[in-house]
Amino acid sequence: MIKQSQTLSNPTQRAQTLRALLPGDAGVDVGNRAALSEIDASCRVPVLFFFLSGLAWLLAGTVLALVASIKLHTPGFLAGWEWLTFANVRTAHLNTVIYGFASQISVGVTIWLMCRLCRIPLVAPGLVTVANLFYNIGVTVGVGGILIGDSTAIEWLEMPRYATPILFISYALIAVWTIVTFRLRAERHLYVSQWYLLAAVLWFPWLYGTAQVMLLIEPVRGVVQAAVNWWFAHNVLGLWFTPIGLASIYYFIPKVIGRPIHSYYLSVLGFWSLALFYNWNGMHHLVGGPLPSWMITVSIVASVMMLIPVITVAINHHFTMLGHFGKLKHSPTLRFMVFGAVSYTLASLQGVASALRSVSEVTHFTHHTIAHAHLGMYAFFSMVMFGAMYYILPRITQREWPSNSLISLHFWGVALGIVLYVVPMSIMGFIQGTMLNDAAVRFLDVVQFTLPWLKLRTLAGLLLAAGHVAFVINVGWLLVRMFEPYRKPVVRILTGEAETVAAAKQP
Amino acid sequence: MSYGPLLFLGILFTLATSWVGLILLPHRQMGALGQHTDTNTAAIYPAVRAGEAQQGAEHYRSLGCVYCHTQQVRPEGYGSDIERGWGRRRTVSRDYIQDKTVMLGTMRTGPDLTNIGERQADAAWHYRHLYNPQITSPGSIMPPHGFLFDVRVIGQAGRSTNALVLEGTFAPPAGHEVIPSRRAEQLVAYLRSLKSSGDLPEAPVKKEEVK
Amino acid sequence: MPVIAFILLGSVVLLPAVALMALRWAASSGQFRCSDKAALLPFDEVEPVGLETDRILGGNRR
Repeated sequence: MIKQSQTLSNPTQRAQTLRALLPGDAGVDVGNRAALSEIDASCRVPVLFFFLSGLAWLLAGTVLALVASIKLHTPGFLAGWEWLTFANVRTAHLNTVIYGFASQISVGVTIWLMCRLCRIPLVAPGLVTVANLFYNIGVTVGVGGILIGDSTAIEWLEMPRYATPILFISYALIAVWTIVTFRLRAERHLYVSQWYLLAAVLWFPWLYGTAQVMLLIEPVRGVVQAAVNWWFAHNVLGLWFTPIGLASIYYFIPKVIGRPIHSYYLSVLGFWSLALFYNWNGMHHLVGGPLPSWMITVSIVASVMMLIPVITVAINHHFTMLGHFGKLKHSPTLRFMVFGAVSYTLASLQGVASALRSVSEVTHFTHHTIAHAHLGMYAFFSMVMFGAMYYILPRITQREWPSNSLISLHFWGVALGIVLYVVPMSIMGFIQGTMLNDAAVRFLDVVQFTLPWLKLRTLAGLLLAAGHVAFVINVGWLLVRMFEPYRKPVVRILTGEAETVAAAKQP
Repeated sequence: MSYGPLLFLGILFTLATSWVGLILLPHRQMGALGQHTDTNTAAIYPAVRAGEAQQGAEHYRSLGCVYCHTQQVRPEGYGSDIERGWGRRRTVSRDYIQDKTVMLGTMRTGPDLTNIGERQADAAWHYRHLYNPQITSPGSIMPPHGFLFDVRVIGQAGRSTNALVLEGTFAPPAGHEVIPSRRAEQLVAYLRSLKSSGDLPEAPVKKEEVK
Repeated sequence: MPVIAFILLGSVVLLPAVALMALRWAASSGQFRCSDKAALLPFDEVEPVGLETDRILGGNRR
């Protein structure tokens, strides 16, 4: 199987043929570039499918988020419709952005990164496309089920039982595709990003399968449900999104600034310590809850141990950037990536702190946790995914970003929006927790205290929405350009000499 | 250097550790937890829920009450759960063995409901609160659940016995009455069944409070 | 309960032992070598170290 792919579609060989056709250095350059753009081009259709459906879900999720946010401070808003209750809208928001948006963009980025790092054009595009189709059917059925009241009320696993197997099949297909690509790779050496990606696609179906069987198909008894629930829900973040986000940062920051990662040794340490400790963290969501203390204590210890991978990764990412901050001005990918990398450090430290019994006593059950979730999922993960898309989309479509102003609008909209979301909500949650822990404060007074802050959150949400709309317009425009005839240098983004690529296309 | 298989095994092994530790072992420890029979009073705790309350639990799940209300009381001295009167003792694993879906919750936008059946036994209060929380708790941000009620023209026989007592701006148009739907009745039956204060060896209720 | 204690205690001894053995094997078989080379994997002849690849904003677009 390996041999066959090497003779049929090995870009290195094709590159050698091209090299022979053209004289001197130009030949080498054109040959390699052609190999690179062949890999990019092979990813075009499947990756675009994932990105575009992901962005459609992002818009849906943004609208749902705004409705939920308004409902929380103005409970009468759209109160007549049963399918739009706060609980339904909030849950539909979580599921569209987690499963519809973030996971689909992750898969798109994973596919492209795997092809590039394995140095082979995309294999089995049909498999990937079927996975995408299944996936979107699954999310549509699942979110529809939530809105008609079939939610399971198990956090992060609200999609009803009739939707989750569809998603499971899709995840399994992606895992199979990744393993096949990995086996067929033309570059035998492995980069750290590949470790993270391979781990993520193997871990997730396991997590999802276990949670489905033990919670939806054959529910376990009593609070074991809560243990499975939080083992799953925390690991969705830690073993699915985090590895893909870190894999992207490990690839894109060095790639954009043209400098290898600060220390490869540290990246090895970071990977294995994450793999060892993160999956034990989940029970810190149940501090003070009705579970045996040993479980919660184990999770708190593991949460503190997360300092090792977090600090390792922080040193690696931030030291790589040292002396290159000037480049933030020119590269949207770098801006989003660095924003995400810094947020990862902050979110992880906040997470470690919140896991401690003394802190959790205050912050558990409050908006502090909501702020923390958005710091992790948005300020870290979504920003990294935006950055990756800014790099990947022009390369797979062979078109430039149409508007720089829209890029700036996107960046500043979401950057300010998420800061305005996370910082006040973290502070508010802390005060809310202090008030809740003081039995002398009436519960309704605590509710009233949160109102102005919740209104501020709606404002932050509007900024985020503006950023999303700007990005989607830019992507749509890029697609329109894809269908226009090849005009002039369209790939100067690659490094400059676009003409050589055009020449390589018709040797 | 190609070490794919090692990587593969490492990836599976690391997750397997917590899968055993946090899923299989707890399942062994707590999965078969049974009811407790008090040796003095022969009372069995936790009791099986009545059918109507069990159906109400499905509405509680379907309506997503869990996103704003917890069902867990933290131990004394940890948070103010007991001082706020949300329970007489902390909740423990055994309290939840009768629940089809365990809804501990992670957010207290609203108060804890572990013992709401004990704290607020009046069904009429629950109906009015669900119909519009502003009636019973002015300033609450809980959404009104008008869709759980029917507004009907008052019939020949006069006002129905189960019609809600509503005044002022909350009252229905003249000649109309607000009747709880079947779902509202089941939901309220469930809420009134929420009592986790049985005396357990692992979580005794303080003596002076046991009558 | 004794079963759990047994498994926990056993794993406390066994897991680090396995980890140490794996580490020793990894070091002796050269898994830690070439790691500087691995850091260069995102780069190639077309996009070598030192080349910025995403310079599209702010004046000097290339």
